[in-house]
Amino acid sequence: MATEVTFDLPYSQWNWQIGVYIAMIGIASGAYLMGYVADLLASRRDAHGHGQVAKYGYLVGLLGLVIGPPILLSHLATPFRAMLIPLTMTNFDSWMTIGAYLLGGLGLGAFLMFVWVAFGRNRPHAPERADSGAVAADGGTERDAARAATTDRTDGLRGVADRVGLLDLVDSLADTTRPSETVRLALGGVFSIAAAGVLIYSAMAYGSGMTERVALWDKTFLLPVQIFSGLGVGLAGAVGLAAVAGRNPGRAVRQYSLVIAGLLAATLAMVVATIVLLPGQSPAAEPGINNLLTTYAVPFVGLAVIGGLVVPILLSVGAVVGQRRDALSPTAATATYATVALLAVVGKISLALSYLLAAEFEPLILPL
Amino acid sequence: MSTQESNSGPARVIPNWESCIDCGACEVACQRTWDLPPESDRIQVVALGHGTEEEANKPMQCYNCVEAPCVEVCPTDALRIRDSGSVRVKADMCIGCHYCGVGCPFGAPQYPDAEVPNAEEAEPMGSRSGGLMDKCTTCEPRQEEGLEPACSSECPTDALLFGTPEQLSEKLDEDGVSTPFNDEAAEIVFGEDADEIMGD
Repeated sequence: MATEVTFDLPYSQWNWQIGVYIAMIGIASGAYLMGYVADLLASRRDAHGHGQVAKYGYLVGLLGLVIGPPILLSHLATPFRAMLIPLTMTNFDSWMTIGAYLLGGLGLGAFLMFVWVAFGRNRPHAPERADSGAVAADGGTERDAARAATTDRTDGLRGVADRVGLLDLVDSLADTTRPSETVRLALGGVFSIAAAGVLIYSAMAYGSGMTERVALWDKTFLLPVQIFSGLGVGLAGAVGLAAVAGRNPGRAVRQYSLVIAGLLAATLAMVVATIVLLPGQSPAAEPGINNLLTTYAVPFVGLAVIGGLVVPILLSVGAVVGQRRDALSPTAATATYATVALLAVVGKISLALSYLLAAEFEPLILPL
Repeated sequence: MSTQESNSGPARVIPNWESCIDCGACEVACQRTWDLPPESDRIQVVALGHGTEEEANKPMQCYNCVEAPCVEVCPTDALRIRDSGSVRVKADMCIGCHYCGVGCPFGAPQYPDAEVPNAEEAEPMGSRSGGLMDKCTTCEPRQEEGLEPACSSECPTDALLFGTPEQLSEKLDEDGVSTPFNDEAAEIVFGEDADEIMGD
């Protein structure tokens, strides 16, 4: 008769730090990828609108990597040893090793692309360039150079750098290191490969290698959940910051808001598919699914599904419709996009934690 | 059983659960032999069929798997399969990520110095953090002296069998019992020798 070994139930090898780490790298990689798409679009139309989303996409990517990996390191027994990645991470059969190098590539890419887009007098998608056509069209009135320079220095992130006295230095460094626009975008494309890899790694990190002893983490369902949620929440973060920085969300923000709604809806569909279909395909996943719906109903159903997916979808669509009908003031629209970002990020973290906490380790069935 | 390695593969300890009487002598022998702290569980008597009529406590430890899942997932190569066939961890390369604990289907990796909160403190977020991996060494230093591993040598009912795959197969045949492994487990533990060891 076959029975189970219950030496480690429920699953308990990893704690909350791993869940937050996986959520943050998913957000970071999704934000970078969507930022890069916006960067590409900015060279074709509405340079400033798409450029803002690109800039804040890169920033969210950078912030996610500043927060996530240190949380992982704090879980390890020897964090300093782990930081010597080229010396210690040598087993490329392990997703943790692959992920470490992908994160390194993404971190470098997010930093460079952010600095090149956000700083420097010749930075792409800058307001001056976007406004130049209007100035010429309005009868040749010259732009007030002093006023433009003042506005440029006090705008959002640049204002922060200016206040700490680093703006001129960072501007100079950005202009000196920035390659031609074609090369910059090509490099951004190369770093996008690392970002896509991190997005996949954010699903594969939930795993046990070839043995796959945690049925809840079935990759058929988990991969699309992580990919859609990473892209959707990353973009929500970028759009939220762009809206707050601009205070008057424009057409580009509205367009991206609809993309956010679509990506979060796709995430929701895959999460529902996991709940409904996974137990049928893998009966061992049933206890984990039950845990999600009972023991961890608050973080999963409440915070992740309703708070992190359903409400942000409704708010995103509602804000766009409201703005188009002039029923929403710029301030209210800004607050809505910022709320979407906040809820989506909290929801993403709750989703990652729920998948970790609800999982049950499935030992090999040993015949007695 | 012999401690010599043969052409059929490395020597390892496997349980004969039908003989186990849950006395815990294996745990004590391991800890005493290697002067291990009480929280170390290189061999651990675990609950099987918990909550069922079949519930019983039996020993589990590292089986030095041929297709070792822990070796595959270890990011730093701290876990390696030695020429002798035993799976060993190099403590100075382990970063304590617990990936091996996730990968091993037998619960062999242990983290004796990890922070493990009490059950009531573990909810809803907690479990383990920190702690370097430690595991059964199949008493290689004892084997080099021609001795069996401490657990199998001190088991009063011969519930822990030690030997090469060929020797284990003969022993199991003599006793008319099967290994405790199902097909999937046997393939991980014995690799290509699985069919031969499992027999009929």
